[in-house]
Amino acid sequence: MEVITIERLQEKLYKEELAGGLTVFVLPKPGFSKTYATFTTDFGSIDNHFRLAGGKDIRVPDGIAHFLEHKMFEEPEGDIFATFASHGASANAFTGFERTTYLFSATDLVYENLKTLVDFVQHPYFTDQNVEKEKGIIGQEIKMYEDNPDWRSYFGLIAAMYKEHPVRIDIAGTVETIAGIDKETLYECYNTFYHPSNMILFVVGGVDPEKVFELVRANQAAKTFKPQGEIERLQPEEPAEVGVKEVVVHLPVSLPKMYFGFKEPSGVPKGEALVRRELAVKLMLDALIGPSTPLYQTLYDEHLISDSFGHEYNIAPDYAFSVIGGDTPDPERLLARFRELAEPMIAAGISAADFERTRRKRIGSYLRMLNSPEAIANEFTRYRFSGGDLFELLPLYDSLTLAEINGLLREHFDWRRLAVCTVRSGEA
Amino acid sequence: MTEPGFRRTTVGNVRLHVLPTDRFKTFAVALYIGSPLDEEKVTLNALAPFVLRRGTRSYPTTQLFREKQAEMYGAGFGFDVYKRGDSQLVQFQLDIVDDKFVSEKESLLRQGLRFLGEAVTKPALADGHFVPKYVEDEKETVRKKLDALINDKARYAAERCLAEMCKNEPYRLHPLGAVADIPGITPDSLYRNYMSWLSDSPMDLYIVGNTSEAEAKAFVEEAFEFPARPSSPGYASSFAPVKVDRVNTVVEQLDVSQGKLNMGLRSGIGYADDRYAAALMYNGILGAYPHSKLFLNVREKESLAYYAASRYDGHKGIVTIQSGIEVGNYERAVQIIREQLAAMKAGDYSETELKQTKAMITNHLREIGDSAFEMIAYDFNTVLSGKERTVEQIAGEIQACTPEAIQGVAETVELDTIYFLRDRKGD
Repeated sequence: MEVITIERLQEKLYKEELAGGLTVFVLPKPGFSKTYATFTTDFGSIDNHFRLAGGKDIRVPDGIAHFLEHKMFEEPEGDIFATFASHGASANAFTGFERTTYLFSATDLVYENLKTLVDFVQHPYFTDQNVEKEKGIIGQEIKMYEDNPDWRSYFGLIAAMYKEHPVRIDIAGTVETIAGIDKETLYECYNTFYHPSNMILFVVGGVDPEKVFELVRANQAAKTFKPQGEIERLQPEEPAEVGVKEVVVHLPVSLPKMYFGFKEPSGVPKGEALVRRELAVKLMLDALIGPSTPLYQTLYDEHLISDSFGHEYNIAPDYAFSVIGGDTPDPERLLARFRELAEPMIAAGISAADFERTRRKRIGSYLRMLNSPEAIANEFTRYRFSGGDLFELLPLYDSLTLAEINGLLREHFDWRRLAVCTVRSGEA
Repeated sequence: MTEPGFRRTTVGNVRLHVLPTDRFKTFAVALYIGSPLDEEKVTLNALAPFVLRRGTRSYPTTQLFREKQAEMYGAGFGFDVYKRGDSQLVQFQLDIVDDKFVSEKESLLRQGLRFLGEAVTKPALADGHFVPKYVEDEKETVRKKLDALINDKARYAAERCLAEMCKNEPYRLHPLGAVADIPGITPDSLYRNYMSWLSDSPMDLYIVGNTSEAEAKAFVEEAFEFPARPSSPGYASSFAPVKVDRVNTVVEQLDVSQGKLNMGLRSGIGYADDRYAAALMYNGILGAYPHSKLFLNVREKESLAYYAASRYDGHKGIVTIQSGIEVGNYERAVQIIREQLAAMKAGDYSETELKQTKAMITNHLREIGDSAFEMIAYDFNTVLSGKERTVEQIAGEIQACTPEAIQGVAETVELDTIYFLRDRKGD
């Protein structure tokens, strides 16, 4: 067991890699009543084509990582939610592009709940019948998203931007693609990606780290895990240009909702460079188009945007893109004005004062986030899988330079790699 | 929880509640300003915070105001407008970084409170009223928000169900007001309403963080320029059970992919009632959790839905049920839900359901202490309802709750309204 003291944040992080390959982290929060734990696999919706060293090439249906997440909760004795509930724990799970996370939050019987979490995720139970039954439920989940304009415009933009890369597919799949899921394929995905060496357990809250490690050490030692080679994640060749420049989706909405974004030619390999770029680009976007900027204020004054206007940046080893937008009465005009206003600002660069102020703002957000055990567990895991460390971001922020931000500013806004997705009401 | 509770005092007839603690990385500040839900004032009240955040005496342009915010490490400034019982609430918030993590010459709590004090009590003015451009812009913003309610179909359906159910009560009003009221608002009428709002409304200011009652009070006194307030009003308890004579069913058609089924039920029990814990148990067993009747029967057994849940509003004494289903499964879903409601009336719940629900509610209550804003919200509910009840007390009542007590609650629960949002195809 390793103890890492993070002076600036007044936190102590405990870490150990266990027999079988699982890495466990514990962040004790003295004085806190609850414990929040996440058990995460490095497997998400983009992992639809893979190969284990020396094994065969496997392609899986869209939506399978999410489907597997749903099915994980079922055990021969019933639904694991009931076990958690009996121990007063609130449990949940979610699937993203890159990770699937199982979690609970509890103020009592914490060690029992921890054991339940690890055991249920390490015990898959898929039957033909329980797989079939889930299709109806997930079908309704998919339909729920279909009616959601935010969801449709966001994912519509990504699908437009990317031609081949699986980041373009719906995380939950479609009613058609999930119809083709069977228990054999679920087991195949499970056996490949849910090996402990591909997973992280993070426990934060009013816990005793010694007790957590004792429990998990014994738990893992009692199970057998064959050593597994590297998982080869096979990604297609993705052209640098966007797939489709413009997409329109018709839904009954009060005003059009437009998201546009810039596709970066490629991602960055896992490690410090990836983490640094993410922080830097996010700061750059905030400094150019955040709510305190002249660009934002002008668009607001011209009634082209409202409080819903925002921005985001996603980066992984093989993709990176921004998403910018919100509700607007005139998508075409908004985009035109955005370009008119942004181009001279990009040419001139961000000022030193704006850079410093934005950096303070981002540091504030980061510190605020560290109040939340949920955010800590999930962000730590995300950074860890990307080759970074959530607790080392302050020195990284301190080291960012104005020149660096302005370099990224000019690099990112390549108008040839712009894609746009608009959700609007259909013609009457 | 080993910390003592909130220390309470007043500043200018505004209640100040301070909880000194060093467990968090920020200072949490929340200011609640309440008014009765009233169709004459609802839109004026809602518009005020939107205009206030546009500029203040010291930071008269929005850009300057937001730059100042950013300089204070973001400050987490924001506001919310919502309804609770028959009150319309405006809640301002700050989430300021604790000084020990950064090096500032002046206390960030002091700077933050000064900033909030400016925003709420020292707005940018022109000719003795709000700046016309800000008022026009924000009228537009609120109008767009009201128009946009229809975008999120699940939320729209839930709002419509309540609007139908409470059509003869102030609760029918949306907390942001009505689009029809907006054109008639002027910078002057808005300002006059704002001044009387500040002088007459119940106000509660909460501060949680690494400070003391004395320090917080001194900072507040220096930062806020409240108008003369004749008193420190509380909230009128307006809870009155409503009798249902028959179920009202409303069907609306829009181009939706999934049907949104919502039900509204009246319960005779409010937050201040001695039976409140039993009402929480009722709602917990019925539909608040993945082990609850609605989740198990509508989703897991029949695969009819992804979400099937219930919520209990203690300030209004209303239970609501929400579920997204195939349009064609409407009858079946309504039937299954009615069966669960009947099971609740018949006292048909197992030891396990009871035990699980107690454990889940107790867990939720115990988690409150881990979040500054959750603690503030919980305490404010006691102010709003006039019922003093600590987290420990309610947790104890939950643990002691009997099946008979829950059935007693079920006897008061009556289905009032069914609202279904469906597509335009077929009949």
